[in-house]
Amino acid sequence: MRRVAVIGVGVTKFGKHERTSGELFAQAAVDALADAELPPRAVQALYYGNVVGGETEHQLHTGPQAASILGIPTVPTTRFEAACASSHAAFRHAVMEIASGVSDVVLVGGGERVLNVSTADATEYFAYASDASWEQPLGLTFPGVFALVARAHMAKHGTTEAQMAAVAVKNHRHGALNPKAQFQKEITLETVLTSAYIADPLKLYDCCPFTDGGAAIVLAAEEVARTRPRAVWVLGTAAASDSMLLGDKKDLSRVMATERAAKAAYEQAGKSPADVDVVELHDCFTIAEIVATEGLGLFEPGAGGVAAERGWTSLGGRIPVNPSGGLKAKGHPIGATGAAQIAEVVTQIRGEAGPRQVGGARTGLTHTLGGNTATVLVSLFGRD
Amino acid sequence: MITLKGFFERARDGCLTGIKCGGCGEIAIPPKEFCASCGTRAWQAVQLSGDGTLASYTVIRVAPARHAADAPYAVGVVRLKEGASIFGRIVDIPFEKLSVGLPLRFRPIVVNEQTSVAFSEGD
Repeated sequence: MRRVAVIGVGVTKFGKHERTSGELFAQAAVDALADAELPPRAVQALYYGNVVGGETEHQLHTGPQAASILGIPTVPTTRFEAACASSHAAFRHAVMEIASGVSDVVLVGGGERVLNVSTADATEYFAYASDASWEQPLGLTFPGVFALVARAHMAKHGTTEAQMAAVAVKNHRHGALNPKAQFQKEITLETVLTSAYIADPLKLYDCCPFTDGGAAIVLAAEEVARTRPRAVWVLGTAAASDSMLLGDKKDLSRVMATERAAKAAYEQAGKSPADVDVVELHDCFTIAEIVATEGLGLFEPGAGGVAAERGWTSLGGRIPVNPSGGLKAKGHPIGATGAAQIAEVVTQIRGEAGPRQVGGARTGLTHTLGGNTATVLVSLFGRD
Repeated sequence: MITLKGFFERARDGCLTGIKCGGCGEIAIPPKEFCASCGTRAWQAVQLSGDGTLASYTVIRVAPARHAADAPYAVGVVRLKEGASIFGRIVDIPFEKLSVGLPLRFRPIVVNEQTSVAFSEGD
């Protein structure tokens, strides 16, 4: 198998846009190709994440649409749908395609547009990633899924609403340093704790926003990457799943797919949690960050809340988590999120993250969760 | 084999139906082909008591468009006496009385003209 590297990254400003998801992706891809110093004709395939295009834009077949807008209409392309982990799933596919020798240069990314529909409609479309026979008919929402995780974690480990709020405060503090973030404003613990309940115990400020945005990354085989001093190697990439139904999950306080994907990715990379300098993980809700830091082995089971409260995951802390501001402050255009997380970790490892730079970051990890905790991808990145 | 349609027809009559693995004895909620625990494909329908305890719960205050008129409403995962767990609405219990471990009992409800799983206070 050949080694694979990220040689270019691009991310749009996250927030509300007038452009379609395909336009947003293409804008990010132009930046990623410029960063890679490659012309569009160098791209041999496009793997693309988009989730609710069918609902918010009445658009399926978004792979060729995105390729056409970018101006590479003849490359092989497929849209990946793995709920919020879609473009990370597309990334894993691209890595395998290059590692196996099928292609030398592959473009990966995603685009999503949801702020053109109402909150009630967006809430409904996102809920399509839960089960249509057992869960959707009862009005389950995504805040609802993670509220159940939160309640189970609180009952088992004594995790508090203040500890969850500390995650939101930290990610907003980081987001204030990121010019691409949807929210570039610090918030206080009190703001989080006094915000309205969305799904108890999760409040408005425990939840990431709805976001429009696009992200793209250029992947290349070792032969192409070797001459590029800013290339960042893919050290490992793994996917894992868990039962679709909430009732079939063995322990709601854990995300088993995170634990399985992390174990496989660490093994591929020959790394352990102690080797990781910077993490971009899936904080769709504050409790999701706490549970992910445990599942990735950064902290012991049950210690994630304490770690957040003590600042261990802040910039300058023991292991900085979500220096970009995370989904919470940077925003969460669901089809683009996995690629955007990879773009941030690559930027960090290159030492190009400006005021939010994690000092001495050599090894980074990204973690993207899809839907009702049934899909997780974990990847590791580093320099020689 | 119990289909989804078959499950909800029985549920409408107040009967919660599970499937029991002929290989390892695991109780599951249908439909499933192979047992995720042992890989056997030898299910038998079993009538579940409908009694269980609340494993986790939440009150949904911002609802999807189709459920907006119902909000706020409580949902949760209930660990059934026989071993399987199932997601449902929690009805006829004040929100402030909900707690992990609360005994509950199955009852069918109709949401948007469709039979669905709910639980109310048990013994």
